[in-house]
Amino acid sequence: MFIALRDLTYARGRFALMALVIALIAFLMTFLTGLAAGLIKNNISGLMELDITHIAFEMDDKPTYRNTMIEREQWEEWATQPGVKRMEPMGHTVFTARTQKNDPLELVLWGLRPGSLIEPAVLKGSPLGGTEEGVIVSRLLAERDGVEIGDRITLDRVLTEMEVVGIAEERNIGHIPIIYAPLRKWQEATYGPPGGPAPGEELPDVVFDFVSILALELEDDISPEQLAAIDDELATTTLDRSAFYAASTGYIEEVRTVQIIQIFLFLISAVVIGAFFSIWTIQRTKEIGLVKALGAANGYLLRDALGQALILMAIGVFLGLSLGLWSGQAFMESGRPFMFETDKIIQAMVLLVTAGLLGGALSIRKITAVDPIIALGQEQ
Amino acid sequence: MSLKTEAVTLLLGDGDQQVKALDQVDVQVAAGELVVVLGPSGAGKSSLLAVCGGLRTPTSGKVWIGDVEITQLKPAQLTRLRLEKIGFVFQQSNLVPSLTALDQLLLLVHMQGRRPNAADRERARALLDEVGMVDKQNRRGNQLSGGERQRVGIARAFMTEPTLLLVDEPTSMLDTQRGRQTVELLRRACHDHQVATMMVTHDRDVLSQADRVVEIRDGHLSEFNESADVSAGAVADAAH
Repeated sequence: MFIALRDLTYARGRFALMALVIALIAFLMTFLTGLAAGLIKNNISGLMELDITHIAFEMDDKPTYRNTMIEREQWEEWATQPGVKRMEPMGHTVFTARTQKNDPLELVLWGLRPGSLIEPAVLKGSPLGGTEEGVIVSRLLAERDGVEIGDRITLDRVLTEMEVVGIAEERNIGHIPIIYAPLRKWQEATYGPPGGPAPGEELPDVVFDFVSILALELEDDISPEQLAAIDDELATTTLDRSAFYAASTGYIEEVRTVQIIQIFLFLISAVVIGAFFSIWTIQRTKEIGLVKALGAANGYLLRDALGQALILMAIGVFLGLSLGLWSGQAFMESGRPFMFETDKIIQAMVLLVTAGLLGGALSIRKITAVDPIIALGQEQ
Repeated sequence: MSLKTEAVTLLLGDGDQQVKALDQVDVQVAAGELVVVLGPSGAGKSSLLAVCGGLRTPTSGKVWIGDVEITQLKPAQLTRLRLEKIGFVFQQSNLVPSLTALDQLLLLVHMQGRRPNAADRERARALLDEVGMVDKQNRRGNQLSGGERQRVGIARAFMTEPTLLLVDEPTSMLDTQRGRQTVELLRRACHDHQVATMMVTHDRDVLSQADRVVEIRDGHLSEFNESADVSAGAVADAAH
C-alpha cells in the first residue's frame, strides 16, 4: 500500500470527509443494533427469561397470548406426553390497574404456580406463595411508577386486589410490564366475577380449570411430527422459542422494521463507498496510467486501492462504533430501551465493512481498464 | 543492441479512420547511445515510443529489448519487462501527485514486490543527487517547478537500472535554457549509466546533444539530413 497510505495523507480532506460519512453510517448502525436489541428485550424480556423450549397455545393458525385458553384436561394430558420434561400452566391477561396512590397502570398479569421453575428470582422482597394475593412486580413498575413492597394494586373492572411482595428484574411482554401472581389469583381475576366472590362464598372450581398457555421444556430429540401429533390430539398449537417470541404483539413488525433499516444502511454504505471510489478512481486515471506504464501490474494497483478502502472503512467504522457505544451507554443509562449485544454489533460492523469493500471493489476494478498508453498522452 | 526494431508497422483506428502511425520502421540503439527521433506533431514519435516500450503491440514487425523479442510477450510479461528493463521519462507533469521526490523512485522498488531498504534509499538519494534534486527529496510534485519535476522523472527512470530509456518530449513544457539543461542531464546519465536512450522530440535545439538523429515523418523513419532540413526550414520561414 505504498501509494494508498500516501494518498490518505495527501488527499486527507477528501478522505476525512469520507471517513466521517462512514463513521456516521457505522454510528447509526451501532445505535440501531443496540436500539433493536433494546426494543426486542423491552418487548419480550418476560419470554426471553423463561427457561423453557416451547409454549403451547390453544389450537390456532396464528396463536397470540391474548386469545388462548387451555383447559385442565389438556395441560394434565400434556404433562404425561413422551418427550415432555416439564410443563407449567400459565395465565396471561392484560389489565389496567391503579396503584395505592391511585396512579393508572397498564400491566400484564401472569399467573404461575408458586415455586415453579418459571417463577422469577426476586431482587427484593419474597417469592410467590406466602400469601394468596402476594405478587411480584417488574422492576420497571418500582422505578417508573414508584410501586413499593407492601403496596396494594387494584385491577380495574374486576376490582381484584393484590399486594406487592417482591420486585424482580425488568420483565415485559409487548412492552408492558409483567406482574407475576399465584395462578389461582390470576384465575380469580381473569375468570371470576368482578369484585371477587360474594362474602362467605367461594368461587366455583371451574374458574380454576383454565389457563392461557403451557410453558414446556421438551426433550431435544422430540420431532416436529411428534409435536404435531400431540397438538392434534390435545387441540393445541406448540411453538418453539423464535415462534413464541413472534407471537408477542408487535414483535415481528419491530424486528422487520429494524432489519429493513439495517439492509438500507448496508446498501447505502456500499453505494456511498462505491461512488466515492468511483470518482476517486476516475480522478486518478492519469496517475494510474502512469504507474502502469512504469510497470505496475493490475494486481498491485487493485491491492493498493482495496487496502486504501479497507483502511478508510476501518477508521470510519472505529469512529462510528466508538460514538455509537458511547451514546448508546448514555441512552441506556437514561432508562430507554437499549442493549449492547456484542456478537450482533460485531456482525453488523463486519457486514458494513464488507458492503463498503464490495462497493469499493466494484469501482476500483475500473483500474484494470486504464490503458498505460495515456501516460504518453495518447488516447486509450 | 539494446533496442532493435525490424519492419515495425502500426495501424491505428478502423475502416476509413485507419492511419498508418508507423510504416516499416527499423531502428537500433546501442547501450550508452542517445538517439534522438525528430519529427513534427502526428509524425509517429509517440507511437514509436509506445511500441518500443511495450505499451502498444505493432500490427506487424518485431521489437527486441536486449535478447527479448517483446512482440511475443503476454501483457503481464510486458508489464514486468517495463518495470525491470525500461525507464520512461514522460512530459513534465508525470509524477504521482501524493508521492515525494524520493518516494517516486522508491515506488519502483515497491512495485517489484520488495519493501525499500536502506540500500534502495541510498541509491534513490544518489540518483536524486545526480540530477541535483537531493535537497528537495521530500517535496511533492506540486511543490516543484516544471524543470525540477522533469529531473525527478529522469532520476526515477534510472532507479531500476534499465536496459533502455525512452524519453518523451522532455523539453516541451520547459523554457529553452531549462530544456537544454534537461537534455544535457539526460545525455550525461545515458553515457554514465550506459543505457540505450531513445528520445523523441520536435525541438531542434537539442539535436547537438544527440549521438545520432533520425527523423520520422508520416510513420517513416529515416536518417536525419540536416542540409535538407535547413532548406525545408528556410522555405517554410519564407512562406511565413
